[in-house]
Amino acid sequence: MKKLLTAAMMLALGVTSASAQSLEDLNIQIHGYATQGFIYTTQNNILTTSSSSGSPSWTEAVVNVSTQPIPKLRVAVQGRYFLLGNYGNSITLDWASADYKVSDRFGVRFGKVKTPNALFNETQDIDPSYMWSLLPESIYPISSRNSILAHNGGVIYGTVAPIKGLGKFEYRAYGGERVMSADDGFFLSIKESGANFTNGLSGPTWGGALHWRTPIKGLMLGVAMDREDPTGAVTIPAAGLSGYNLSSPFKIPYFYGTYERKRFMFASEYSRVAAQHRTALTSVPVSSTFQDQRQWYAMTTYKATDKLTTGIYYSSELDRKASFGPGRYQKDWAISGRYDFNQFLYAKAEQHFVDGTAIGYDTGLNPNGLKPDTRMTIFKIGVSF
Amino acid sequence: MKKLLLGFLFAAFASLISQRAYAQVIVIANPSVKASTVSKAELSDVFTGNATALKDGSHAVPVLLKSGTTHEEFLKEYIGRSDSAYRAGWRSLVFSGQGAMPKSVESDAAAVDFVSHNAGAIGYISKATPHEGVKVLAIK
Repeated sequence: MKKLLTAAMMLALGVTSASAQSLEDLNIQIHGYATQGFIYTTQNNILTTSSSSGSPSWTEAVVNVSTQPIPKLRVAVQGRYFLLGNYGNSITLDWASADYKVSDRFGVRFGKVKTPNALFNETQDIDPSYMWSLLPESIYPISSRNSILAHNGGVIYGTVAPIKGLGKFEYRAYGGERVMSADDGFFLSIKESGANFTNGLSGPTWGGALHWRTPIKGLMLGVAMDREDPTGAVTIPAAGLSGYNLSSPFKIPYFYGTYERKRFMFASEYSRVAAQHRTALTSVPVSSTFQDQRQWYAMTTYKATDKLTTGIYYSSELDRKASFGPGRYQKDWAISGRYDFNQFLYAKAEQHFVDGTAIGYDTGLNPNGLKPDTRMTIFKIGVSF
Repeated sequence: MKKLLLGFLFAAFASLISQRAYAQVIVIANPSVKASTVSKAELSDVFTGNATALKDGSHAVPVLLKSGTTHEEFLKEYIGRSDSAYRAGWRSLVFSGQGAMPKSVESDAAAVDFVSHNAGAIGYISKATPHEGVKVLAIK
């Protein structure tokens, strides 16, 4: 599968070098982007890189091929190369779907599809589409690039305006199976603690999102709900134990809003993950762990010129069930800027002031333990077509 | 006081120039499009991928100019975005599987040619460009 994807991406890149414009006769479009990041931190290594020495170990490349054989039907596939420290260094299938849009009021998409929950879930891995180098990690951790962002199944979607003068409502509803492969970055810290999810985690998922484009120009309010029910085989090699992880099904609600006016954009989002994870190992009583994470952020951006955008956000996560200490929370102030040289090339710079160690740290690269705070500087350059 | 007056005059002149520039961009459509007038909001929805039809039910297919003054003026006046922000929006749709990039053409003449030959097509050109075979949409 990896070889097939590599070949497909190479072929697509080859064709693209000739022309990125649609291949008209077949209604085929090929697009892509690539980014290279550089991370430097004080105190701790972060995002599974040797960032305290300065790390360029953050590369992504995406190729997207789509065809539209008839006006209402679009078939598309997207592959990704993702390298970020020890979180990942592989080519994966982002999504592959067929989309049939009956009208603006109703459409259906099926295959491996982006999961339409939260404000940025569908676009959080699309670096050219936003100004930040890192979206607020409290809700959008970067450890997984495809397991959490997409599912196998379908989405129905549409936009309706049932009452004149009340704005528009965009709805999304989805269902299917979430599959998190064993090599997903999500499992890195679990592996470091000595447990292996030999086949990853998988289980049914469903949910939906409703966005209200209010009559107030530029104001959108949204709510989303995600339901997960993951299970998977687990082993603890050092103790010679094996068994199953059986999380109780849990729901993740999201509440958010955005407001755009002239050169400013404001956005804020709140989410909560409350779950019980049970592990049933042979000849050992069933053990349970609990999480009750409260996550939120607030951000604003300002378009200083047509080419330069600046912004600032505050992101916070607190797990009320976790042990006391810096590992229980993470508070992150970020100041950011993006400059678009032209339609294809852009650069980003971002400074983070992180307090707490709940997200993005591993013990392998911090063998002497974690300091409670970190300063992180990020530079990124990207090209898209 | 003189400086203040000069500043005011300059601002007024700049404003006039700006309005005059916007007035040079016209929105054209294939004759199959029933509407002869569209709102800015409808136009923005079509050109940002939020809608594939106008309020009267006409199917709408946007066509873009790749670059240039007319393109930038259209985006500023009717979409309210710079070119980089506009393309970032489309990239969100393309790379998340929610849409395909609209057709882009090199010149105003190519836009007229595409719009005149494709049902539902809507584009924008400089007012000075000959535009036989298409209808001009009034923007309310």
